[in-house]
Amino acid sequence: MRFEAHGLRSGYGSVPVLHGISFGVAQGEIVALVGRNGAGKTTLVRTMIGLLRATGGQIRLDGADITRVPPSRRVRAGLRAAFQERSLFSQLSVGDNLRLSGLPAAEHGRVLAMFGESLAGREAQRAGTLSGGEQKMLTAASALASTASILLMDEPTEGLQPSNVELLGDALAVARQEGRGVLLVEQHLALALRLADRFIVLEKGEIVDTGTAGEAGLADRLSGRLAL
Amino acid sequence: MDALTLELLNGLSLFATLAIVALGLGIVFGLMGIINLAHGEFVMIGAYVAYVTHANGLSHWLSLPLAAVVLFVLGACIEVGLIRRIHRRPEVTILATFGLSICLRQAVELIFTKDFRGVPNPVPGATRAFGVLFPTYRYVLIGIAVVVVVATLLAFTRSRFGLTVRAIVADRDLADASGVRTGIANFCAFGIGAATAGIAGALVAPLGAIEPQAGLAYLPGAFLVVIVGGFNRLWGVIAGALVVAAVQTGVIHFYDAVWAQIAALALAVLMLQLRRVPVEGATA
Repeated sequence: MRFEAHGLRSGYGSVPVLHGISFGVAQGEIVALVGRNGAGKTTLVRTMIGLLRATGGQIRLDGADITRVPPSRRVRAGLRAAFQERSLFSQLSVGDNLRLSGLPAAEHGRVLAMFGESLAGREAQRAGTLSGGEQKMLTAASALASTASILLMDEPTEGLQPSNVELLGDALAVARQEGRGVLLVEQHLALALRLADRFIVLEKGEIVDTGTAGEAGLADRLSGRLAL
Repeated sequence: MDALTLELLNGLSLFATLAIVALGLGIVFGLMGIINLAHGEFVMIGAYVAYVTHANGLSHWLSLPLAAVVLFVLGACIEVGLIRRIHRRPEVTILATFGLSICLRQAVELIFTKDFRGVPNPVPGATRAFGVLFPTYRYVLIGIAVVVVVATLLAFTRSRFGLTVRAIVADRDLADASGVRTGIANFCAFGIGAATAGIAGALVAPLGAIEPQAGLAYLPGAFLVVIVGGFNRLWGVIAGALVVAAVQTGVIHFYDAVWAQIAALALAVLMLQLRRVPVEGATA
């Protein structure tokens, strides 16, 4: 399965944010999308999953145009997004959140153990009462445990302690080994450099740089882009 | 003692009637946030289904599932044709469902005229229990209402469908992005809300006159129950119906029906005031 954006434009009301973005994510690869705050990364994720209407361009999944397809159908077609914010149903229990992710009850224990002991045995707890870091872990774990072929992970390490960032990195590497494609939106450059096969740098709604893992001077270039 | 027992049974009967009438509103207004001013007309149409069933020589009991089916279809059509397009704009929903209630009353009037209709009591007579005679049909009404209300509440709170509806209510965009078919869930929830109103209408049909304006009497009571029971909590319909029925029965016992209505309204206002802080907090 291959996910592609061609000349994608989007924004909020009459305010354009994305100005013709083109890139692709294939199965079995991790593409890191980096950029400073306000570059349009979250807007891109929300447009790709269908929560924001594309005002131009095309989104394709395995060659099929899904630009006008509603989010729920994109999810059933194999896309899955883990959002930076408002990623859980805070009024519902942890178990209900996992059920809504399509995970059978028998798998809940395994998913909750993905980040060690901190979420284990807390299925009945209201998701809104988890700490910020725990909510991030649950969001990432739900997405990784889903059957989606393409994962859109928006800043999954934000608020996570370093040991959990490592665990998340391992889980993403496993997802790649399983043949899934991952778009990793990340400001945590160390994790992106450790995992990603390709890099896209977004600035003011446009792709200003791209790179491939192992490329000479890539880390310095990306650091420079983020520090500007 | 007998007088007190009779009042308790009257209160229980009122509780059952309020609970089943308010159940659909609890789903549509309390859970989905849609202010449906045509809910009373759904109850009225359910009563007409009972009338048509009787007029065709069929059993009254058949009218209960028939009313559920007719109102589910009607409710689902209204959801697709009207509510779906405006549900994010509450002020428009109020106006649209107010207009819809007028249209439904006029449509029923065109078909059945303004004449009062009636359905004979399928279980006439009274039963002596707890030392007092009480109409047997009211016992039946209490039983059926409790079964319908509890079964519906269980369906909404324990099933996968109920979970998806609660997810939509909590965050429609996130539900959509989680793969929930929000359109189908709304369609079904609105249809079920209308269906329970239809069952309520068929159930209360033998207790009073059936006429096009009859639904207007049920709407205020249903809203009071949902307000007192609390929004976003379907089981609150039972608590709300219990409190409103207890207050009304108690005030009727000591004063009269007018003061009972005033007391119920005052209770609803009080509950809205008490809930103001958490409701604002939730919105924020």
